Amino acid sequence: MKGAITKNFRGLRALVIHAEDANRQMLVGVLGRLGLDVRSIDPQDPALPDALAGSDIVLADLVTEGLPPRTAPDALPCIALIGSEAPSQLARVVAQGCASHIMKPIRSSGVFTALLLAVNEHDQRRKADREIHSLRQRMAGRRIVTRAVLDLMLAHGLNHDDAYERLRLAAMNRRLPIDELAREHLARAPHAAEPSAHSWVPAEDRPDTPAPNRRMTR
Amino acid sequence: MTRRQLDIGIVLSTTGSYAAVGRSMRAGADLAIAEVNADRQAGVTLHPVAVDPGGVQSAYGEAMQALLVDRGLTHVLGCYTSSSRKDVLPLFEKNDSLLWYPSHYEGFETSENVVYTGAAPNQHIIPLVRHLLCHHGKRGWLVGSNYIWAWENNRILREALSEVGGAVIGERYFPVGETDLRAVARQIVSDRPDFIFTTLIGNSCYEFFRLLRAEAAAAGIDQPRALPIASCSLSEAELPMIGDSAAGHLSSSVYFSTIRSEANDRFTAQWDRRYGHLGRACADAEAAYIAIHLLALAVAKAGSTGFADVRAALGGIRFAAPQGLVTVDPDNLHCCLRPRIGRSTDHGTFDILHEDPAPVWPDPYLVWASVGDIAPRQAPGHLRVVR
Repeated sequence: MKGAITKNFRGLRALVIHAEDANRQMLVGVLGRLGLDVRSIDPQDPALPDALAGSDIVLADLVTEGLPPRTAPDALPCIALIGSEAPSQLARVVAQGCASHIMKPIRSSGVFTALLLAVNEHDQRRKADREIHSLRQRMAGRRIVTRAVLDLMLAHGLNHDDAYERLRLAAMNRRLPIDELAREHLARAPHAAEPSAHSWVPAEDRPDTPAPNRRMTR
Repeated sequence: MTRRQLDIGIVLSTTGSYAAVGRSMRAGADLAIAEVNADRQAGVTLHPVAVDPGGVQSAYGEAMQALLVDRGLTHVLGCYTSSSRKDVLPLFEKNDSLLWYPSHYEGFETSENVVYTGAAPNQHIIPLVRHLLCHHGKRGWLVGSNYIWAWENNRILREALSEVGGAVIGERYFPVGETDLRAVARQIVSDRPDFIFTTLIGNSCYEFFRLLRAEAAAAGIDQPRALPIASCSLSEAELPMIGDSAAGHLSSSVYFSTIRSEANDRFTAQWDRRYGHLGRACADAEAAYIAIHLLALAVAKAGSTGFADVRAALGGIRFAAPQGLVTVDPDNLHCCLRPRIGRSTDHGTFDILHEDPAPVWPDPYLVWASVGDIAPRQAPGHLRVVR
């Protein structure tokens, strides 16, 4: 297993979004003992967006609205504070993508577990998100490469393998990723700028109008 | 058999924002306590120890703390809102005590320390949805107070409507206590839905009934007929608060004061004599009345007033309640109750439009219930579905 899990939360800025009551007091106390820098705020407080901006982790009552969605670049690890198990409430936990939860009434046990799961799960999700992003870019790059190969085939009467080899060599020589070189090539080759000029290149293969459910073969 | 003496805590808000319901529940409990104490066959004499939290959320915890810890009580009848019940649950768990919860609620809870004598969602929201779809149509407008009771009921209704190809024309939530509802009433009248489902509570609810009636009248529409309002909580205790717009609204409940039975005749006769000033008897009052009687029966059966003994004795206990035979489900300590749909009248009562043929088993997690079911699972007297 690579990489140790995060298990020390000293100095982490936690924001507890919950109405002032015994639950909140208990939670703030436990988080403080775990070394976090804790602030608390009411879900209805208009200062909520500012408070979020200065936080590293959020512990939110289910009635809280206006948290950044889990896919947002500024998404924070979020722990749901659950009082009712009614599905309409739990739907909010799912929508928010809370990585862990604490049942109310809050007691001292369970807080550390929730914290550890939320922080580590959030890190893993961010890593997975980055990977997905880079894979998407590479996939988009494949389309560019295919277009450049086609262009070379048409312009120079090459077969597929020779056209690809020419691109690959040029990329190696200039120490560039092949898709970047392909993009450069297409930008320089005006006859390739509009792929639909080749009547046998299907229009839905144009990168600016991606068709849903297309199978990528390379 | 020795007759036991038992102090029972009563924690109901007889003042504050939902005092009307609280006073009715208190009256139902008092009526049952008087009956148990007058019954020479009963195994117990009950001594109520009452605290009024005044509708203040934090006061419930303080009251329970005082009763369970300081006075060492084991049984408390109390709470109306789900939030107050959730708040005090840990105290009951910690002190091995039993909360007798006398109100219908949204479900998704089964505590080892609570006896639920009001309707679970399969006993009131599901029958109402079925009735609306059968008799009024598939296009609903949803108006509620902004908290769990409304969210959860609306979720169930929304899913049911989408299942049958219906539509939610509009859905709005307002803070508890909001009475500025003219704009939404006007919007609803112009949208002409098949029905309106309201989960507004207290003053918001009463004002909404009045405003919608007025807006509909201004548009030349007979509101009760063309734009019926349905609810899972409207009761006899609240009809007097609505004034002259009180008639013609649908309510789903396991009890109405107009049920025709010998047991209910006895109950309402006593009620009207002693508590007529509170309006007619209502479902939450009956639930409190049932809770006290179930406690007395369980103590007699257990031969003890202790938490574990009473809890163990409760399963399967039956009581001939004003609504009919009530049985405690040993699996979840909710009760088998009989769903009914009523339409409010000018006299502070409901005409009963529909009655399920028999009591229905509680299904707090809606595992078995579905709007599409023609025959819900029925309680003793009928064959029980094997689980």
